[in-house]
Amino acid sequence: MSDRTDAARPTRGIDPRGPRFAAGVTALLLLVDVFLGLTTPIGATVAERAVEPAFLLLLAIALLFAWGVLSPRTAPWGVLYRVAVQPRLKPPAELEDPRPPRFAQGVGLFVVTIGLILHLAGVPWALPIAAAMAFVAAFLNAVFGLCLGCQLYLVLQRAGIVGRERAAAA
Amino acid sequence: MVSLPHRRRTESATGLLRAARHRTGVRQPFSRKQLAWDAVTIVNALIGLAVLLAVTVALGVLVQWRQGRPRRHIAHEVVEPGRLGAESLGATATLLQFSTELCSRCPGVHRTLAAVADGRDGVRHLDIDVTHRPDIAKHFHILQTPTTLVLDSDGVVQTRFGGVPNRDVLELELNRLTGETANV
Repeated sequence: MSDRTDAARPTRGIDPRGPRFAAGVTALLLLVDVFLGLTTPIGATVAERAVEPAFLLLLAIALLFAWGVLSPRTAPWGVLYRVAVQPRLKPPAELEDPRPPRFAQGVGLFVVTIGLILHLAGVPWALPIAAAMAFVAAFLNAVFGLCLGCQLYLVLQRAGIVGRERAAAA
Repeated sequence: MVSLPHRRRTESATGLLRAARHRTGVRQPFSRKQLAWDAVTIVNALIGLAVLLAVTVALGVLVQWRQGRPRRHIAHEVVEPGRLGAESLGATATLLQFSTELCSRCPGVHRTLAAVADGRDGVRHLDIDVTHRPDIAKHFHILQTPTTLVLDSDGVVQTRFGGVPNRDVLELELNRLTGETANV
């Protein structure tokens, strides 16, 4: 016997290897960005800090995260996966709910944005540390298939920040 | 006549730039000291990257090693099915799964546990969506989904699996429970 108290089975899903491929590309970009952030000293003025290669690359990563949140179907790495990688692989064994990877993109955007803002404010190490945190999440997702977003979601939920109790739920 | 002041300005600009470089101690691009400093920075940054990579891989291996391993000796508690919105528990055992909407591995675990429960008499699979029930998540100290509890016939929590449970280990746990009831 098998019961589900909240019937919300996804009717259509996505190939779970797509988000992992995108996470792999993102992890590589973030690793390059950590390297750039560690090698270039932080600029003296806001204008200088805003044109540093580490800042510009992280800004591009942030925009890609935002793209993944707003329109996951058209996000570049997902499209690249479907066009170039998926035809060479076997069809997926099972499909996945598209919402968790989308939520994870939002978490990535949040972390990276904080790094960008602190960097512009002149906080040393903020940019490489933010890029490194996002890298850890992206790498674990790509290589181990671990969903840090799910875990964070539950922690936030228990703290009462997201997913408050529905009034209708008895 | 027109270009003369212009040229003069550019000449004075390069002169100023050179003077500024001299004053602030900015070295010429290919001086040996500058190259050595660059090399040290790059080596340090590469060490930083290697540490980051090693820590990440270690974290991944540790989490994956802990995932799906059963934990016994947990605070025993009798689970009341009514509180979870289910009418009853399994006659011999219950696989109590906790899921959320934003959980990529929950549907796969749901299929596995449903198949295990279908293959055994008296074993019931309950999948609780705790997305909108932080009270339940808090009560069972759920920090990750899926989390699976194995309950015996009285609803006492016997085993806890964080993450994706290993199917063979799960079957062994159920054998243990059904064996116990057979002996009693």
